[in-house]
Formats: sequence, structure tokens, C-alpha cells
Amino acid sequence: MAIEARLADGSASAIENALIGEHPTIRKLRELIERVAQRDVTVLITGESGTGKEIVAQSIHEASPRRERPFVPVNCAAIPNDLLESEMFGHHRGAFSGAATTRAGLFMSAEGGTIFLDEISELPLPLQAKLLRVLEDGIVRPVGSDRGTKVDVRVVAATNADLGAMLARNTFREDLFYRLQVVPITIPPLRERRSDIPILVEHFLARTRRQRGTDGLPLRVSDEAMVQLWSYDWPGNVRELENLVERMVILCEGRILEASLLPPNIACATSPADEITTTLDEEGLNLNALVRKLEGRLINQALKQTDGNKQAAARLLGLKRTTFAAKLRRCGVITPSDSDKSTET
Amino acid sequence: MDDAEKIGLIMVVDDDPDTVKILSHYLKREGFTPLEAASGPEGLRLLASHRVDVILLDLMMPEMDGFAVMRALKKDPATADIPVIMVTARDDLSARAEGMSLGVADFLAKPVFRKQLGNRIRAQLEIVATGHATAATLNRIEAVPAKR
Repeated sequence: MAIEARLADGSASAIENALIGEHPTIRKLRELIERVAQRDVTVLITGESGTGKEIVAQSIHEASPRRERPFVPVNCAAIPNDLLESEMFGHHRGAFSGAATTRAGLFMSAEGGTIFLDEISELPLPLQAKLLRVLEDGIVRPVGSDRGTKVDVRVVAATNADLGAMLARNTFREDLFYRLQVVPITIPPLRERRSDIPILVEHFLARTRRQRGTDGLPLRVSDEAMVQLWSYDWPGNVRELENLVERMVILCEGRILEASLLPPNIACATSPADEITTTLDEEGLNLNALVRKLEGRLINQALKQTDGNKQAAARLLGLKRTTFAAKLRRCGVITPSDSDKSTET
Repeated sequence: MDDAEKIGLIMVVDDDPDTVKILSHYLKREGFTPLEAASGPEGLRLLASHRVDVILLDLMMPEMDGFAVMRALKKDPATADIPVIMVTARDDLSARAEGMSLGVADFLAKPVFRKQLGNRIRAQLEIVATGHATAATLNRIEAVPAKR
């Protein structure tokens, strides 16, 4: 059965579901992930926020011989630095004030399985040294204990940071980098594989249909909306597209998802169906809405022409940078740097 | 000149000499090397002797239009994987739909802006490079036997 069919009826493998698309690079990546899952090696997944790094990590675990054992995800950026060491490696009773009992760390709870270290770039240097030792000898040393415990855990790490640049700045250990990067997996951003957008949209629509049990009422995206989805740069990548499709399905009243359901930051500046009227007839008009529409359209166009450079876009429109920024916020336009902060989990 | 030595050989296929001139100028400004073809058949001929990284393909051309060129490219394994960016009118929805079904990697709407052109081409070069790196990793781990 073809992969599309397996995705459609829900019988696709974890890996096929984790990385959807027919771009040659994506197919190659699925093949690599398939192979890597079988081999007990450390993996480093690199990709922008929203590209699905955790889903890929989980699929590696599920396709590996460790699948019956735990998959333990750890977000290194979400745990305060002073707690991270005892969270990861555990602590002995009385190791520090508040350590009333001996506690096994996340490495211990992943015994026999896989630990997923997300945002590995946020690991402080002293902990990087400690992680390196675990990777080298497989021995975990809890805080306050002089004895280590042997663990059998596969490490899959991920980052959206440029670790190479961090090496140069000495904020990431070179030896740990090479130890992690035994198998590097780079997930490309969605804007590099726009030809997969229609395939992903179809997949998300089919899944929504399965979840809602509304079989027989297939939804589709209008050609005009598809062109706009294709043109957008997707700073939040596949996750942003997924959220958008869900949103359109909720808002949609018929069976065709029209371009009018798209938020203004995605709606293309020159949509023919969305003319700005310049005549006033008896019905009157909403001047504020019209001005906002025109503003949003020109702002989008300026950003497009300058490829997201806000300062240059402001110049194009004859606006001060601060005025332009205020207008951007009002129009709800998201730029890559904003969404990076808000969408990474 | 040896094409294999150059990074970013971009072929422009367009029957309008002014467009070719402008696109070539933009490409040079963005640091790429343009390779000009005034028609689909000429472009296909040039591909036999040049290692092209990305093709900028006009849709409306006499004799052989962009879709026909696209089909010819996909039929030949030597050219099937070269990313094609199709240049179309902004509101030509049916052309885009057809292009999508033929495996176009990306679309650019006329008028083409230089920065946007540069970014879209870099995106294609980037994902091709990721594909090569992935293939290299795959070969490397194939050499290691599976174990647990």
C-alpha cells in the first residue's frame, strides 16, 4: 500500500506519521530515521521550532527495539538550572537542603528506554560535562552520592540553536557535540519544501475528519487559499500549518476552506477576490476597516519585498521604525523572530 | 569555466530577453551564476552540458511552454531532481495547480523582487544540501552493523 493510503486510513508507521511529505529530502530522512532506530546510537536532531523534533525522536524510540521501555522527554530549557542536575541524574537523601529523600533521576526512569533531551543548547556547561561522562561510560552519578549506577539508556538530543556557533563561543563543549552528533538528523524548515504543503494540508484535513467521525464529507482547500498557503513563509513550520488548518476547519461552514478564512498575516496582499473599494455608494462603508485592510496589505507587501526586514519595510512605507512596529502588532503580523519565542514548547 | 566548481548555477528559461536580462542581473547581485536559455528546448540542451542547481522557468513560452519543459525534466532521471521555480502571473491559480501536480518546487509571482528571488533560491539550495548530508549519513551508518 502506498504511504498516502496508509496515512489516510491511519495505518502508517510512527516514522511515516512523524515526517510527512514527498520531497526527496524528506523521503531520504525517513529512510535514515528508519535505519537509525534499529541501531543503538546517539542521535542529534536539528531543526527550527515547529518542525517536529520531538515527534521524530518519539518515532525513533517506537521503531527501535526499546519500544516496550519508557520514552522520557526532558526539556532542558524548562527546568531551572539549579534543579536540572538532580532532575536528570537524581539525588541522595541530604545532598542539599530540601533533599529529604533519595530520588532517582530521569535517566534512571528511562532505564532500558530512550531519554529525549530537547533544547540541549540550554544545558549549562557543568552539566554538559556530566552528560558527557554518562554518554561515555553509561554511569549516572546522583547528586550527593559518590557511587554511580550503570544505566542502559539511549540518548536522543535536539536543538533549534546553531551548536556550531556555540562551539566557537565556548558555550557548548566540543567533545559533547561530537559525542551527540554520532548521527545528525536535520529537519528542513517548511519554507524549503513548499511542495509538501498541499500534502500536509490534506493529511491534517483527513485526520480531523477521522477524529470527528464525519467521513463522507471531505473538506478541501480552495485553489486561491492554497496559493496563499504556499506563498507564506511559515516561521512556525509544520506546527503552525497544523494549527492553521484546525482553525480553518472550525471556522469553515461549508466543505471548501476559502481564502477568506485565512488570518491577515497569511492572506496574500493581492488577493483578487478581496478588492479594496474606493467608491462610496448609498450603502456606505466602514472606513476604519477599509483603512486597516489597506494598511495590512501594504505592510505585508513591504515585508515580502524586504523579506521580513522590518527596518527596510518601514523605510519603504515612509514610516518610523517604532510606528511601523506598532502597526505590525495591531495587524497581528508575525515575523520569524517573534514566533520563535512563542511557539517552541 | 568548470561548472562543478561553482556554487549556485541558476538557469533562467524565458523567451522574453528583457526578463532574462533582469533576472540574470538579480542573480548576480545575489551571488549566483546565471545561465541563460531563450526557450525550453535550448534550456534542455544546456542541461546536458551544465550542472545546474536551480531552474527558473517561465510558464508562457511559444513552441514549448513551462509545463512541457517540466514534464521533460521529470522524465529524465538526470534532471528530475533539479528544483524548478516556476515564474507565473500572481493570480493564475489554475497554472499553479497544474505546476504543483507536475512537481514544481516553488513559484514566484511576477514582478519578481530581487531579495525574494535570492531567498527562494537559497531555500532550494539549502534543502538539496540537507538531502546530500542525509544521504551521506545514511551511507555511513549502513556500514555499521545493527546491534542492541
